[in-house]
Amino acid sequence: MGTGALVLRILLSLLGSAALLYALHRVLGPRGRRLLIALVTFVGGLFYGLEWFYPVSPTTHENFLTRWIEPVSTMLAVVMAFTVGLGIYSLCHVHGRNVARQRPGWHNSLAFFIAMIAMFIFGLWEHYLHLPEPVPAVMPYPKAVYEVLFSGLLVPLQAATFSLLAFYIASAAYRAFRVRSAEAGLMMAAAFIVMLGQVPVGAWLTSSLPQTTALGFFRLENLGDWVMRWLNTPAQRGIMFGIAIGALAMSLRVWLSLERGTFFSEQS
Amino acid sequence: MTALICGMSGVIIASVLLAQRGRAMFIRRIPGLSAIEEAVGRATEMGRPIFFSPGLDGISIVTLQALAILSYTVRLAATQGARVIVGLRDPTVLPVAEESVREAYTAVGRSEDHRPEDVRFVSDDQFAYALGTVGLMQREKVATNFFFGGFYAEALILTENGQALGALQVAGCPDPTQIPFFIATCDYVVIGDEYYAATAYLTREPTLTGSLVGQDISKGVIIALIVLGIAIATMLGDDATHNVLVQLLANGEAGVIQTIGGFIRFFTGRGG
Repeated sequence: MGTGALVLRILLSLLGSAALLYALHRVLGPRGRRLLIALVTFVGGLFYGLEWFYPVSPTTHENFLTRWIEPVSTMLAVVMAFTVGLGIYSLCHVHGRNVARQRPGWHNSLAFFIAMIAMFIFGLWEHYLHLPEPVPAVMPYPKAVYEVLFSGLLVPLQAATFSLLAFYIASAAYRAFRVRSAEAGLMMAAAFIVMLGQVPVGAWLTSSLPQTTALGFFRLENLGDWVMRWLNTPAQRGIMFGIAIGALAMSLRVWLSLERGTFFSEQS
Repeated sequence: MTALICGMSGVIIASVLLAQRGRAMFIRRIPGLSAIEEAVGRATEMGRPIFFSPGLDGISIVTLQALAILSYTVRLAATQGARVIVGLRDPTVLPVAEESVREAYTAVGRSEDHRPEDVRFVSDDQFAYALGTVGLMQREKVATNFFFGGFYAEALILTENGQALGALQVAGCPDPTQIPFFIATCDYVVIGDEYYAATAYLTREPTLTGSLVGQDISKGVIIALIVLGIAIATMLGDDATHNVLVQLLANGEAGVIQTIGGFIRFFTGRGG
């Protein structure tokens, strides 16, 4: 298919989808819309559920629905791609008002517009430059600007934010380990054992206990391992079981449109 | 395994149907969810806004639950005249969140208080979202923070800054790796399956209450299977190939038939 025909198809699909959505919006009332959402949700859930559980052919390892997985996923990706535009609109709306009304901190909103437009222009420009491999030592300036914006600004800023976590963990740990109740005392004791069990000084502190006798259990590295393996892991798994069943129940409620609230009917 | 999932699904649906027919069902108190009312009331008294984050995930079961809690929170806040600001990371959640908030205001007859710009897309980058949200919390001087949804490494950045602001914080996350961070920094935390009990707990509608009871029965089944598995493993050793329960869950009937021989050998003492 030629580029022109492809563009025409895309435009026609867009126009057709927009017309269909507009017609549905006009024709269907709130009840009809809820019914349509419930129907689409049920069919979608049924499709993925059947595709997963229906036995596959031993030769192809596929069932009759497998070949539809890719087109359906692509369709979902296209629908989701439209929402990026909504996100950009939301940002421009909020920050545009800040700049227009010169609200306090409006220069931050202006910085947002400059950053977004610069990244958009140089990102696209760099993408369509088609540079030879290896990239020449003296880079064309769109590529150089993009490198400064992305590798020189965005990546270090992300790394700097991530590194803040080290300080926040310390302050959160301080707050969590203040012994104000029996439970906090237990947590403090468990943390003390596990942390000491992980570092050489912990092993050194109890190294006099013979490893081969029953007393060896009380060496900090063994005790820490025991806490992690026999106390922490079962508790984590217990929580995981609960979460999995909760997710199953929630999925069933959404699939069968039994959930309450927006997009689901109110129970009388 | 498929049979187990189908069985649990059947139990949950049966509980829903029983509840819909009027059978009274008990739900235990969940402090984290009860605290939503207190947190909204605090913001109202202080005359400062509430911040709500439905997490970093796109449209998923976790986010849908967060949006259901958002809807309840906005209704409560709208009734009391408090303002709710929603910060989003995933643009796919934006239209759904906008609709939820708009409908919540309409439902309590306060459409005129609805400010569309209060549902904001912040950034789709994890740490840019964290910093943008922290900036938002600082500028708006929020009184209460709600963090419900899927959170990752940025959770601590959000909640530690909320602590520094003196905001009352309520969080809920189904990810066990993030729960400790929330417990250390938030006033109330909804953990594990309590997260999925939120709509049932908050609305007390029979359909959802029934689903919650079905969840609890399914958990009972899992506990019974664990106890049975321990008993079998204690009797036959921890070799999974001899454990009839492991074989049943992993390989279905074929696995069971294979391991029944192991059982017979164990009880008759003929090798194995």
